[in-house]
Amino acid sequence: MMAMTARRLASSCLSLFILVTLVFFMAHLTPGGPAYSILGQKATPASVAALNQRLGLDESLPRQFGLWLWHLLHGRLGYSYLLNRPVGQLLWVYERNTLVFYALSIFIGTGLSLLLGLAQGVWSGRWPARLIGAFQLGFYAMPSFFVAAMLILWFAVDLGWLPASGITDLRDPHPGLASFAAHLALPVATVALFTAASLSRYFGEAVHEELGKDYVRTARAMGAGPAAILLRHVLRNALRPLVTLLGLSFPYIFTGGVIVESVFNYPGLGWLMWRSALSQDYPILTAIVLVIGILTVLGNLLADLANGLLDPRESYE
Amino acid sequence: MRQGVTSWLGRRPGRHGTLAAGLGLAGLVLFCGFIAPFLYPADPYAIHPAQALRPPSRLFPLGTDELGRDALALLLSGGFSTLAVALPAAALAFLTGAAYGFAAGLGPLWLDKALMRLLDVALALPGLIVLLFFAALVPQTNLNLILLLGLISWPGLARLVRNEARAQRGRDFILAAEQAGASRAYLALVHLSRIVAPVLVVNATFMTGDAILSLSALSFLGLGVQPPQESWGSLLESGLSLAALNPWWLILPPGLLIFAALLAAAMTGQGLLTSWQGDA
Repeated sequence: MMAMTARRLASSCLSLFILVTLVFFMAHLTPGGPAYSILGQKATPASVAALNQRLGLDESLPRQFGLWLWHLLHGRLGYSYLLNRPVGQLLWVYERNTLVFYALSIFIGTGLSLLLGLAQGVWSGRWPARLIGAFQLGFYAMPSFFVAAMLILWFAVDLGWLPASGITDLRDPHPGLASFAAHLALPVATVALFTAASLSRYFGEAVHEELGKDYVRTARAMGAGPAAILLRHVLRNALRPLVTLLGLSFPYIFTGGVIVESVFNYPGLGWLMWRSALSQDYPILTAIVLVIGILTVLGNLLADLANGLLDPRESYE
Repeated sequence: MRQGVTSWLGRRPGRHGTLAAGLGLAGLVLFCGFIAPFLYPADPYAIHPAQALRPPSRLFPLGTDELGRDALALLLSGGFSTLAVALPAAALAFLTGAAYGFAAGLGPLWLDKALMRLLDVALALPGLIVLLFFAALVPQTNLNLILLLGLISWPGLARLVRNEARAQRGRDFILAAEQAGASRAYLALVHLSRIVAPVLVVNATFMTGDAILSLSALSFLGLGVQPPQESWGSLLESGLSLAALNPWWLILPPGLLIFAALLAAAMTGQGLLTSWQGDA
């Protein structure tokens, strides 16, 4: 166990170093360099040179890289060109919103996927399972922005029940929790539906598989009711891949986030990434790519380690 | 990697049912993109201010947008630019992924280790994040978009091909060919590609769907196909920006076409997979 942990840790560290190096050189291959995106296309050579000197961009590349790594190790991610605030601070402001949004979506989506997966496994081959299968296939091929657009058209425009964008009502000086919840409803519904569709497929298959196993027959023969069998025995075994799945879907949580947050103008990390890409605010872009890459590597590491704890056989691979 | 789609509909749709449905849908999408623009010759850029934002009528089968442009003509020309960027991009990603996979799978061990390490890092970043990052760096011309999408979406295939190549490497016929002096390129192109063909073809269809989705998402976010060209993603976005006026005729058709294209790719790929594995 210790040896495996050490090996995985070392491998993750190496991945992180490559990632950091790649991101640095990617950002430095920018045609024109950052000076042009700050000063605009009409900048004079003199003003560009002055800005480059101020930002330290006239240093040699290895020196810049060293300096950048040094700052990174101290948690300094630079300043946003447009908002002129430290990137670390900005990221945290937006990340808070994303965390609330995603924690809710994943929670609801996972709960929904459990119900759907159980139903699909139990009624396998009959019409409820087919209906769930159609739902899964549909959402597999459906672009998230299209689903979001339909939800806006239906619930925000046609019925007028829910707001279509933003995070609170700007006209209200003291927006309460209710306003926040109403603004969250449609984005959360979008992500929860996609989460439920993709996760329930695994549960459906797992439940169906588990139901055919010997221990279920034994439990049934000993007089256990269907509810007890499902909840106490089958569900526990079918849930095993959940840790890995959630770990693997970790980065994709952020991708879905870019689109859904942009559609609903929800000020989270994905929305910030989108706005920064449109306005070429590289410090923010690099920081987000870095943070997501680091989180992904850590997420994979944690999923590996958790699996090793849950099932010791895994660590002997 | 993709999981099987067989259980999606919960029953066994004839041996080639999924494949036929997928190919039919794919044909429909290709028809909309490459043939229909010639059959419906209305100019997508002609504006009719007096007819702005009208629902479908006899004159304009899919209505008009806020400038009074013919929505059907826009949809068809948008389909052309979507497919004209996404299909070459998918082909580029396919070639890159296959070449990378074969290089890692057949090359010396140190090369394999180095390439796989790089791949792990590439896979650690969600494709859309990397796409946004690079799309912000370069001007979004069609050529750049093809290069961008093509050079970003290959890692999944590369890993599959590499694993297949590694698995086949020790087999007798490969060793025999090596003894007879076959080069690694010859091994990859002549011997291995035949065995890996199912994996390659199935993934090529999935990658086509992915390219269409990524391009549509980028265009929807304003970083894909640029005006005056339209694409399904940008049409959907401009329809949605008028959402308060409820212009369903501007939002539904492009969305449904993207959906059809993705469904076509998923069903064709899965149909091929099941018909090869022989357990439909």
